[in-house]
Amino acid sequence: MIEADGLTKDYGSVTAVSGISFCVAEGELFGLLGPNGSGKTTMIRMLTGQIPPTSGSARVMGLDVADDPIGVRKLVGIIPEQETPPSFLTAEEYLHFVASIRHLDSVDERCDRWFDLLEFEDKRNVLCKDLSRGTRQKLMFAQAFLHEPKLALIDEPLINLDPIMQRTVKDFLQEYVRDGGTVFFSTHILEIAEEICDRIGIIHNGRLLHSGPIEDLTGSGRHLEPFFLDLVRGDTGA
Amino acid sequence: MMKEEWRIHSTIFGSLGFALFPAVVAFFAFLGSLTLPLFRDTLPYAAVALLAQILFLLMGVMVGSFGLMGREFMNRRFGQASLVAYASRSLPVSERRIFTAFLVKDTVYYILLYVLPFAVGFAAATPFISLNPAWGLLAFVSLTLAFLMGLSIVCFLSTLYAHSVRLLAGTVVVLGVLALAALRLGAITISTVLPPYAFFLDPGPGPLALALLLILVPSAVSVLFVTVEYPDRTKRFNNSLDPLAERLRALGSAHFIVKDALDLLRSEGGAGKVIFSFLLPIGLIWVCLQILIRFIPGIDPLVVFAVLLGVISATTYNWLTEFDSFSSYAFLPVKVSEVIDSKLKSYGLLGLLPLAVLVLAAATSGGTGTFLPALAAFLSVSAYTLAVTVYLTGLHPNVMLYSAGVFLRYLLAISPALLLLIFASILDPAYAFGSLLLIVPAAFLLFRGRVKWQAWEMPGY
Repeated sequence: MIEADGLTKDYGSVTAVSGISFCVAEGELFGLLGPNGSGKTTMIRMLTGQIPPTSGSARVMGLDVADDPIGVRKLVGIIPEQETPPSFLTAEEYLHFVASIRHLDSVDERCDRWFDLLEFEDKRNVLCKDLSRGTRQKLMFAQAFLHEPKLALIDEPLINLDPIMQRTVKDFLQEYVRDGGTVFFSTHILEIAEEICDRIGIIHNGRLLHSGPIEDLTGSGRHLEPFFLDLVRGDTGA
Repeated sequence: MMKEEWRIHSTIFGSLGFALFPAVVAFFAFLGSLTLPLFRDTLPYAAVALLAQILFLLMGVMVGSFGLMGREFMNRRFGQASLVAYASRSLPVSERRIFTAFLVKDTVYYILLYVLPFAVGFAAATPFISLNPAWGLLAFVSLTLAFLMGLSIVCFLSTLYAHSVRLLAGTVVVLGVLALAALRLGAITISTVLPPYAFFLDPGPGPLALALLLILVPSAVSVLFVTVEYPDRTKRFNNSLDPLAERLRALGSAHFIVKDALDLLRSEGGAGKVIFSFLLPIGLIWVCLQILIRFIPGIDPLVVFAVLLGVISATTYNWLTEFDSFSSYAFLPVKVSEVIDSKLKSYGLLGLLPLAVLVLAAATSGGTGTFLPALAAFLSVSAYTLAVTVYLTGLHPNVMLYSAGVFLRYLLAISPALLLLIFASILDPAYAFGSLLLIVPAAFLLFRGRVKWQAWEMPGY
């Protein structure tokens, strides 16, 4: 579903992502882990054609993201980090707005499903600017899955959600993958990755330090946190 | 706040690009001042001074109108709570103090960016046009007064509006009745209406005191009664997006157009923004043109009004992008060019407002004989100015126009066409039909602009 080959992104003299290559197969739940500022968000923005890579290439669901970024964004669902829905639409209007962009039918039914699943039916007529951060995250979640994509790219999926909703979202993602979907998400919360991921990648200072099945760690009795800390601290000291 | 303002702009187009902005203003003021003797027969110095005073009064009015937008303005302009404007949320500083500091900062910024460079440019030209260089200082003082007068008046009116629309309407009616009575009694002159202008012509304590009075009293009332608390009331609305989009389906991009409309209608200030940042300046221009006829007999006020209306109406594009950002669409299958197209359609619909103003002006002034050339001038200038704005600034006119390079190109693209059109219309109003030629470069610039901004990455800040 995702093939990245030597992806690099420079912002002026700063290299945010440096020559990263990896693959994510269909039906995988892949977690990209890394400290703040390690390049996770830049990676997702490149994979979804929001920004062009400085060098390297990526194919998402068979499409080259540099050649056809709109095609990629038509196929996948994206939850960006810290992006808020437009201020002066209500939650329901925003979902209808996204549905119009994606040319979806049965919009009311689709919206009802997400208001119900993420338990924010009572907020459907509230302006987005008046929603709490947690409810905004629910809304962003709903817009990403409104068109029932085969692949979802999520930047910090559980940010601002309470523990009950975190459980709901984790259960949903695991069920989504069981039903054939693929998830690529970034996070710096290791417990989430350890709990739900099939495979992980660890990124630091824009470089991919590790990539592999989570079972390789947990199966040998190790925990993710010490492994992650050793890897990142070792890289920092190197 | 001053540092933040500097860094926001300098991050986007570099320190030099922003720092040179006043130099561009000074340069154009210098060039414009050098040409004054050429037009002295048709445009006496007193008329030029009046125009400059009106220009800066209008600028004060438009800057002051931001008060209507309150928190939303700051949200869109400065992003979320990481800035000093939000310090009252996390630090022991009152919102009133923050708001006052914000007002002072913006006032200082506009004076440094526009008024001072304009006066410096004029002062630099005075030796070449046989004027006393001291007029430069006089220009700075009087134009600052005019700017502050516009700012304080609109802040006063918007404070009334924030408390009660009835209070605003009542005040406007009372002031209108008083003005009419004074007009009938012959007690109103340009000097009494615009004391900074009187001060420029004849510096003395009288007009200075009157100008200060007209600045300080409305300002004091505004500060005393300003509504700084932000209501916590959660706003709820039924889904208006789909029903309205259905009606506009034939236009295409209907959901984007309706979203723009809802942004404008539901944001703070609502219709007040239209009154203060559009209708009020337009009304002032119309009144001033009626005065200018006395100085320039050949001028056709309706055609000149139409040209200026075209320029001012292009600023409605700024409204359409004020509460919007492409980052809201970047993760959806939407191109920048599609968003620009939808803004152009929204602009076309909003254009009905200035069009109605033009029809009203023609009907009430008996200028129906020159309505058609005026209409051509309005449509062409509006389209051309919009196209220049889109080409140079994309979806970010509220930020990008503060880059010296962008602003310089904006002025160079628009000023010659406007001046040529206005002078041609003085010779014969029918020459305003020539403005239709502007449609060609307008179409070209829009085409190029869509391509250009599709490939643009906004620097993070």
